[in-house]
Amino acid sequence: MLVAAAPWLITTPYWRGILVLCAMNVLLALSLNLVMGYTGQLNLGQSAFYAIGAYVSTILIKAYHWNFWLAAPAAIIAAGFLGLALAAFAVRLRGHYLAIASLGFAVITYQVLVNWESVTEGVRGIYGILPPVGNTLGLFYLIAGIALLVYLAMDNLVRSPVGDTLRAIREDEISAAALGVNGALWKAFAFGVGAAIAGLAGCFYPGFVGTLVPDAFNIVESFTMLAMVIVGGMGTMPGPVIGAIVLTFLPELLRGFGELRLMIYGVALTLVVLFLPGGIASCFKRAR
Amino acid sequence: MLIVQQSLNGVYLGCLYVMVALGLTLIYGVLNQINFAHADFVTVGAFTAFFTATRFATKVLGVPDTAAYLVSIIAAFGMGALLGLAINAAVFAPLRDRGDELRPLIATIGVSVLLENAQLALFGPVPYQFDTPFARETFRIGRIFFSAQSVLVVVVSALAIGALYAFLRFTYLGKALRAVAQDRETAGLMGINPGLLIGLTIVISSALAGMAGALLGPVLVLSPFAGASVIVKAFAIVIIGGFGNLQGTITAGLLVGIIEAFTVQYLGSGLIDLVVFVLLLAMLVVRPTGLVAERKEENV
Amino acid sequence: MLQARALSKSFGGVRAVHEVTLAVPEKMIYALIGPNGAGKSTLLNLLSGIYQPDAGELTFRGENLIGLPAYRRARLGIARTFQKIRLFKQLSLLENVRAGFHIHQDAPLWRYLVRGGSDRYDAEARELLQFVGLGERMHERAGALAYGQQRMLEIARALATRPRLFMLDEPAAGLNAAEVDFLLQRLVDVSRRGITLLVVEHNMDLVMNVAQRVFVMDHGVPLYEGTPREVQANRAVVAAYLGGEFAA
Repeated sequence: MLVAAAPWLITTPYWRGILVLCAMNVLLALSLNLVMGYTGQLNLGQSAFYAIGAYVSTILIKAYHWNFWLAAPAAIIAAGFLGLALAAFAVRLRGHYLAIASLGFAVITYQVLVNWESVTEGVRGIYGILPPVGNTLGLFYLIAGIALLVYLAMDNLVRSPVGDTLRAIREDEISAAALGVNGALWKAFAFGVGAAIAGLAGCFYPGFVGTLVPDAFNIVESFTMLAMVIVGGMGTMPGPVIGAIVLTFLPELLRGFGELRLMIYGVALTLVVLFLPGGIASCFKRAR
Repeated sequence: MLIVQQSLNGVYLGCLYVMVALGLTLIYGVLNQINFAHADFVTVGAFTAFFTATRFATKVLGVPDTAAYLVSIIAAFGMGALLGLAINAAVFAPLRDRGDELRPLIATIGVSVLLENAQLALFGPVPYQFDTPFARETFRIGRIFFSAQSVLVVVVSALAIGALYAFLRFTYLGKALRAVAQDRETAGLMGINPGLLIGLTIVISSALAGMAGALLGPVLVLSPFAGASVIVKAFAIVIIGGFGNLQGTITAGLLVGIIEAFTVQYLGSGLIDLVVFVLLLAMLVVRPTGLVAERKEENV
Repeated sequence: MLQARALSKSFGGVRAVHEVTLAVPEKMIYALIGPNGAGKSTLLNLLSGIYQPDAGELTFRGENLIGLPAYRRARLGIARTFQKIRLFKQLSLLENVRAGFHIHQDAPLWRYLVRGGSDRYDAEARELLQFVGLGERMHERAGALAYGQQRMLEIARALATRPRLFMLDEPAAGLNAAEVDFLLQRLVDVSRRGITLLVVEHNMDLVMNVAQRVFVMDHGVPLYEGTPREVQANRAVVAAYLGGEFAA
């Protein structure tokens, strides 16, 4: 069931910016949910694909003067492709090994971004990046619209036989294999699609912020995405959306608490895992 | 000569890493769980040691610098143990029998984020400089230099490892722990209380982490995010050495330390993480169960 | 139908299965027995593709199975159940059995990605659930079933793949007498439909009533092969089960 988010006509630029951020977070949370919620694989390296989307598109635009609308698909394909590459390792590994390998991948990506200065400008960063749509409100509608499309497509996917297959892998990969399911193939599929969507979100990030530095993509981002999916409700469709919205707005609303607001992710994550494993979505009993 | 020097530096670094990784692999061996907050325990240990050594012991108690540092190591050990108790009570014990691999892991991620930000709130993002009197002293044998700190680290590590071995091998509790690691249900049936032993394991592991923090403090950039730089290497070591395998972890830790020493020398410090990670991923492809470990039969 | 020759598998120096040669004829009920630790489950895992052997040959209806991963073997018509029941606990009974039918869906990818289509085989799924006595509880969560019922669900799901060879790993373990009877009756029914059965059982009595041929293993090596009566009379077999006190 969809909750079509009606775009708010909020006037202050700051809050409009938060809306854009929220839309991007929704995309990121959705990307992770396919791999984690439906296929049951712990991917801690999603920040890498977010980064790849951002950097590839930006470099194509800045250094090679591509148009955004060409650079973005290229970046998405790059992210998806690398997601498949990671999956080549990942599929043999189970549980803990996979978590760490994906984390390792994120670290390597970060290191490459920092060290490959000739291409990425390293920690100095790339400046003066323009968003594809000039004003913030327009940008929001663009990203939110894309997020909606992704949501619909993914919802369709998880209700299809493919969704059944992914769920089977999540529940018990070994007996799924005994039923003819090629676990490796579908895990790679989920990974690749998840990576591509994260890359998609990444395309919008540099334009929104204006500058691009590797530090925006350190592994903490992976944990943030993880928190959004889990707090919202892993394995459901509305879950990641709710989680993204809650965890984007909550720290802002609690700004009065100063530095402590960043702890919210940690607290929320821990509490949810301990006491509400289905996430916020489970409160509405939308089980699928 | 340079090679020998670097090798020794590598051993020193390696010991530090082993201290961090040891706790992780211990938890995995007994619990089949990964504690993502482990590295943050290290950071907390480092901060505890820092404040004990520089403020508490010297200014309040008036203890001389060198002794203050030694005291701080013990304090960090204790703090780690406390954290272990806390996380066991809050996370591992309640989730223990659910049979879910993922939930405790994610809960520890939550704790990790919590700890990092709590420390951020308390200590601020600006790194502290942890100077110990040991770091300032150097010895010389022939053309090789040692810092007193490195000798201390190696000695303390060796003692800790030795104590751990002795504990596991010769004491009743230690043997019970190994029993629980091998087969929890049967151990339970034999009158061993798995819950208690699991709690004990976590406490030991966290205490080791705290102590590692005290030893690492002078070497690291001491900020609340120090954990992040260490955690991934620690995991790499645990995997390379084989999850749950103590000897493997020690070997792997020393290996990584030596590789790091040589990498820094010849390739510059920026590439360390990259090298270690590529090594890790290569390991996962070639021999996922680790250097020393043998293929365990999957229980189907 | 299934031919294994000199199959061997070791784990870190322990020889779980050593030089096992066996042949399962078509449409038979074939039992694989042996005392605890004999290597029966390991052998089954080798046959179904969970492990690859260190040495030996393995063919199924003429096709070489060595190197083939488990899911490919399932597609060739080999189904199995597990000693430790493996179900999709969070999914319903119907969804579990449906999963077994996926193996037949070879629709073009685009059709596969569109919502719906999961219920194509629901009528058959319902029949299978009725067959194992769970027809009334289709929509319940699999995890909520009693142990014996979970076992039957596992069987129903495996049967959904329309196998030619159905291997069961200690299916009677943990079942009470009534449930075991029901299980054996169902297995006989399955065999009558032309499916070859390979049943691993620890308990000799259970399979003696149903099996047509029996293969005995001990400590990873073959001990004896014959009809149930021959096996019961064989001294070596008896000795293996009783620990050697009665060895000639």
